Amino acid sequence: MRWVIGLIAAVAVLIALPLVVESAFAIDICIRILLFSFIGVAWNLMGGYAKQLSLGHAAYFGLGAYTSTILQINYDISPWIGMVAGGCVAMLASLPIGWLCFRLRGPYFTIATIATAQALMLIFLKFRDFAWGAEGTTIPNLGNAPLMMQFEEKAGYYYVVLGLLALALAINYKIEKSWMGYYLVAIGEDEDAAEAVGINAPRIKRDIYLISSFLTALAGTFYVQYIYFIDPATAFSFNVSIEAALVSIVGGIGTLWGPVIGTVLLETTSALLQSWLGSGIGGIQLTIYSLILMAVILWRPTGIMGYFYELAARRRARLVKA
Amino acid sequence: MADALVIKKLNKRFGGLRAVQDVSFTVRENETLALIGPNGAGKTTAFNLIMGFHRPDEGSVTAFGTEIVGMRPYQVCAQGLARTFQVAKPFGGMTVLDNVMTGAFLHYRNPEEARDKAREVIEFVGLSARESTAARDITTIDQRRLEMARALATQPKILLLDEVMAGLNPSEVDQAVALIDKLSGSGLTIVIVEHLMRAIMAVSKHIVVLDHGQKIAEGNPKDVMANPEVIRAYLGSYAHSPNGGVA
Repeated sequence: MRWVIGLIAAVAVLIALPLVVESAFAIDICIRILLFSFIGVAWNLMGGYAKQLSLGHAAYFGLGAYTSTILQINYDISPWIGMVAGGCVAMLASLPIGWLCFRLRGPYFTIATIATAQALMLIFLKFRDFAWGAEGTTIPNLGNAPLMMQFEEKAGYYYVVLGLLALALAINYKIEKSWMGYYLVAIGEDEDAAEAVGINAPRIKRDIYLISSFLTALAGTFYVQYIYFIDPATAFSFNVSIEAALVSIVGGIGTLWGPVIGTVLLETTSALLQSWLGSGIGGIQLTIYSLILMAVILWRPTGIMGYFYELAARRRARLVKA
Repeated sequence: MADALVIKKLNKRFGGLRAVQDVSFTVRENETLALIGPNGAGKTTAFNLIMGFHRPDEGSVTAFGTEIVGMRPYQVCAQGLARTFQVAKPFGGMTVLDNVMTGAFLHYRNPEEARDKAREVIEFVGLSARESTAARDITTIDQRRLEMARALATQPKILLLDEVMAGLNPSEVDQAVALIDKLSGSGLTIVIVEHLMRAIMAVSKHIVVLDHGQKIAEGNPKDVMANPEVIRAYLGSYAHSPNGGVA
């Protein structure tokens, strides 16, 4: 019961936050934290539970971003609909991409996923009539138009992405507690052993890839709506792929809250370092940021959540002995 | 007794090596068949061919009348065949209970039901005390027990055990033999690959001997052990040369 009360309190605080905090800079950081937590949770379903380390999730981020933008600018369709359409496009794209990449295992799989995101970026760069090519386009500012996912106040965006994160966490929770969650972890641990106990590994991997890419595409739509601009380098940015994996790894892969904790840690550190040291020696904030990353990966390879689980297990073991 | 598993003319080449050549044998329902042979004889390959981990070049395997060659391992498992691995492959990060639940989910998609079924099997193999330990932290014999429990949780009709007793001390071997007897007593058909003669004699009345990928003998333990081909395969040709030999 205690965690239910805690959860309700946390939700209340999160909902009240934009009403209390007035600094647009602070809200911007909050939005980025929520957004990358959301992408992290989406990535973690496949990369964390099933340990299919994709570094190509930018492919779906970009497809989501482009689908909604093309629908909005060329056909005047609301990004709310475009968002779902983008998710569906991403799911469709994940089928052939998965069919190709899942033939490979381990590092080869990872490299193949990087290639798919890069290939999509090149396609959007080269075919200019299709989607504005390299120069990209700005998204028309309609003022305060909630139905077109545009808000005058940053608070509006904040609630949208908070809702997205809540949705992803709910889906993740559902999956984790069901047979699917066990199957994903089993595949991540040992695919041969998983197949030997009757797990249809190719199908499970395909299904989780569908879910993961759908959610990632929603983030893409949200992001371009938030920054009012789209070009291939932004939409298919390798940074998105890296960040999605990184926040999960730092926070604890294969755990519900890992990506959220990882993002809070990394994004705040990065934002604070930027504002403290950004004007000093060039690149110093990135150096410190990387040192923190290396420290976490060296000393806490199971991530921060993994560390808490170890502590809990040790306490349980002590109780059993006593 | 009906035929549970019928293997006919199984062939598998790896490059120039004929790992399994024209191997045929039949496992009857509720019998325990032992597959023996020197290192590299093709026993584990035969297992992998039966379970769909490798595809045979030629031959057929039928389980209760259904052809299973060409099926993937998870489909073979759904046909009622389960296996353990020679090198135990537990899901290390999961607890013992969660490991066995992954097997139970094959027939019970509801986590509560799967948990109950998993607990039954864990108790059967005698692992209840380790239920919430991470699989990577348990001892070798317990990992073997876990492999068996996870396989049993899929409710197989045929269980294939790949060297479950390797590396166990004598008293652990006795425990494993007792466990296999108990499984056989519950009506299961068992195929066991094993090096340990003492254990084979204890659990099996039907032995198939492989050497260099070929079946060289089949029958009850006493006849098989007296078979000159078998002695030659295990001890070398000197052991049974016509004029007495050195060995």
